[in-house]
Amino acid sequence: MNSPILVAENIGVQFDAFTALKNVSVAFKARQLTAVIGPNGAGKSTFFNVVSGSLIPSTGRIRFNGQDITGAKQHEFARMGIAKSFQITNVFPQLTVGENVRLAAQMRRSRFGLLVPRQSMTDLIVLAESLLERVGLAKAFHLPARDLAHGQQRCLEIAMALACDPKLLLLDEPTAGMSPEETLDMMDLITRLAEERTVILVEHKMKLVMGICQRLIVLHHGELLAQGTPNDIRANYEVKRVYLGQKV
Amino acid sequence: MSSIDITDVVSPRGAPQGSRTVLQRSMEFITRHRVAAVIALLVLLPWLVPYEALAVNILIFGLFAVGFNLLFGYTGLLSFGHAALFGSGSYGAGIAIVHFGWPWWLAIPAGVTLASLVGLVIGYLAIRSRGIYFSMVTLALAQCVYFAFYKAGRYTGGEDGLRGITVDVINVFGWRLDFLHPTTKYFVLLVFVAAALWFISRVLASPFGAVIEGIRENERRAAACGYDVAATKLIAFVISAAVCGLAGTLRALHLSTVPIESLHYLTSGHVVMMSLLGGMGTFFGPFVGAAFVLLIEEFATNFTKYWQLLVGLVFVVFVLFFPRGIWGSILHWLGRR
Amino acid sequence: MSEINVILMQMVTGVSLGSLYVLLAIGLSLIFGMLTVVNFAHGAYFMVGAYAGVYTYTLTGNFWVSLVATPLVAGALGLLAARLLIRPLYGRGIDYPLLLTFGLSYVMIDTIRALFGIEGLPTSTPAALRGAVNIGIGHFPLYRLFLVAVTAAIVVVLWLFIEKTRYGLIIRAGVRNPEIVRVLGVDISRIWLLVFGLGCAIAGLSGALIAPIRAVTPEMGISVLVESFVVTVVGGMGSLPGAVTAGLLVGIVYSMTSLYAPDLAELSIFVLMAIVLLVRPQGFFGRAGLMA
Repeated sequence: MNSPILVAENIGVQFDAFTALKNVSVAFKARQLTAVIGPNGAGKSTFFNVVSGSLIPSTGRIRFNGQDITGAKQHEFARMGIAKSFQITNVFPQLTVGENVRLAAQMRRSRFGLLVPRQSMTDLIVLAESLLERVGLAKAFHLPARDLAHGQQRCLEIAMALACDPKLLLLDEPTAGMSPEETLDMMDLITRLAEERTVILVEHKMKLVMGICQRLIVLHHGELLAQGTPNDIRANYEVKRVYLGQKV
Repeated sequence: MSSIDITDVVSPRGAPQGSRTVLQRSMEFITRHRVAAVIALLVLLPWLVPYEALAVNILIFGLFAVGFNLLFGYTGLLSFGHAALFGSGSYGAGIAIVHFGWPWWLAIPAGVTLASLVGLVIGYLAIRSRGIYFSMVTLALAQCVYFAFYKAGRYTGGEDGLRGITVDVINVFGWRLDFLHPTTKYFVLLVFVAAALWFISRVLASPFGAVIEGIRENERRAAACGYDVAATKLIAFVISAAVCGLAGTLRALHLSTVPIESLHYLTSGHVVMMSLLGGMGTFFGPFVGAAFVLLIEEFATNFTKYWQLLVGLVFVVFVLFFPRGIWGSILHWLGRR
Repeated sequence: MSEINVILMQMVTGVSLGSLYVLLAIGLSLIFGMLTVVNFAHGAYFMVGAYAGVYTYTLTGNFWVSLVATPLVAGALGLLAARLLIRPLYGRGIDYPLLLTFGLSYVMIDTIRALFGIEGLPTSTPAALRGAVNIGIGHFPLYRLFLVAVTAAIVVVLWLFIEKTRYGLIIRAGVRNPEIVRVLGVDISRIWLLVFGLGCAIAGLSGALIAPIRAVTPEMGISVLVESFVVTVVGGMGSLPGAVTAGLLVGIVYSMTSLYAPDLAELSIFVLMAIVLLVRPQGFFGRAGLMA
């Protein structure tokens, strides 16, 4: 029995007079690849920010593995096993690629000394190397992160998100700004990642996610429009109406 | 915003392949043994500058800048109130000696402790405020500390400063050292500076040191990785306070007085300038900056009383054209070749 | 005077002191809101304004002329600094303009010392504004009432400018979301310079206004800078209602503390700031998450 790993209950987000999200209730199953989709302005990013810990909802609750985590601070999310990548690439620009991942992995050590040299923690360095290998950046270990091409930086972010060995991986438009080949590589990587942990994806390009996701959540004007398997969504009249003119 | 110490670009298992010139290799060697390199230079310093008092000032303000740089260059927090920490260190040590009759070796930890406590309070409030307010809040709280010490005349001497911090003789392991002799004084102070440098170097190379740099580079990312950004900043602030406080205690012992100006905004500004001009986020930068600023002031006061104008202009030029500072620019130029 | 009258009089003093803070905080907030620059030279412009005011008053014998000339001088100097020094730093990070304006203040203070000496300038209150006026609860210095009136007038004019004119609309939009304004093709860089100049002009004007009742020295801007920061933190950066409310509040807190515990007067405003930081870190009118 696959109990939900993440549950969003009646999430509402209000910015002054603007309602970004209203009454969104979704349960995400573990070990599944779920995509949150919708046209631009649907509230996907706001929803993503709520479930990834960047934004505290005005109303509603979030439960992770049964535990209420509403209002928890951003850094507590990673410690609980929820890792994320941002819509706009967020890495440590002047640090090397290897150091970026090593630092992300360092959080596994709950207590670290002030006087211990970090370069002696070789297991973290080895881990960083293997993660970078996985995303195809092994050769870039010694480059400053800001010297990477855009697509490579997105891969770096994935490596950093994996560094804390998360149970839940949240990716906000991971293919944004990538070339078609890079996009294919990324979707491949995500599919493989979803085999070992739960992945929730935010995307606005429907075509990308239809083929690989087990479940889709469709948002529209801040509300839940539909949810189900790709086939369910394809057949859904409401969804077709909303995406009128877009190829499905 | 800051330049990177060369160790961050070199992994422990060997630098990237490709030819490294003799210059680059020696730079790596110096960086790997950075504490020893600085201490070696400081040992030679009294013979490199025109007179002793200047050497002592470079030593003291260099340490002040090192403590400040931990917060500014490495963590990315621009405090304009570090005079409060420097001055608290001075007054702490001074009051311990003058009013409580403590020996010098207890007065120094007393000063460092007082500075750390002041740093804890200022740091907590400043970090609580939103990003852009940080500099303003530290400035304001430091002025508050200034007024508090000014008013507590009974202990601090008020406007006249605290006088009578006389330390003539230092007894160490049976040796009697004449503290009033300039060279002896310099080397006694150097021992403390060296210890602090070793400590700071270890902190910077530690996992904690990596986290503060991560915070400087990208706070949101650091938080998303699982680091408690506010708590880390506060710890960095307190460590910075302790080191700057130590510099303050050494100054009190050196001058035998604590001028009230130690707590003033201009002292805070002074260390900001030294840090930027030397090179933020580098290990050698603070001492380079301290030496540079003190030498300019020394040079300028010889033929004009408007040395602040000169220093201000130099600073503005650096902010516009050489934000990496002297040492930072050198490192950058070397890294480019 | 009865107890109540004493308190009320002290509050009026607080309001007149607060007027100065309101003007300074408005300038700071405008500059920050539009350029995201913390103007560490704000106190220096205040000081330059005081000098310009006294100088022109002495030169022309006409106080009103000096009040018109001063903001022009300060504003021009502000424009110059913005164009030559601050604009090149655009895009480099929030700390750089701060550091630059800090360095600039050093240069300005020492330049004034070089031009006018280190002792300061003697000042006097213009004849028409001397003396005290009976405001019902007691006699209050006419000049201080004048200060309050001028501040109120400036606030109203600014409010009208920002709410009702096209330039004001651009400023409001720029404060809310600089990116949008840029994309809309408005020549944002010119607005930038003007706003910086405007902020400095207000700072300079407040210097000229305060000159008759304060010592005019090269260092007068330093303590004033600190006080303006306190007001800005309390009221919320980038907010004009915040600047007005906090300015008056800080002035009143200071003067009431002077009445009951004169030794603690200087510390009282910092205590206020600390309380605000603990309870509402973004300030009364600040938006939560500003530069968080």
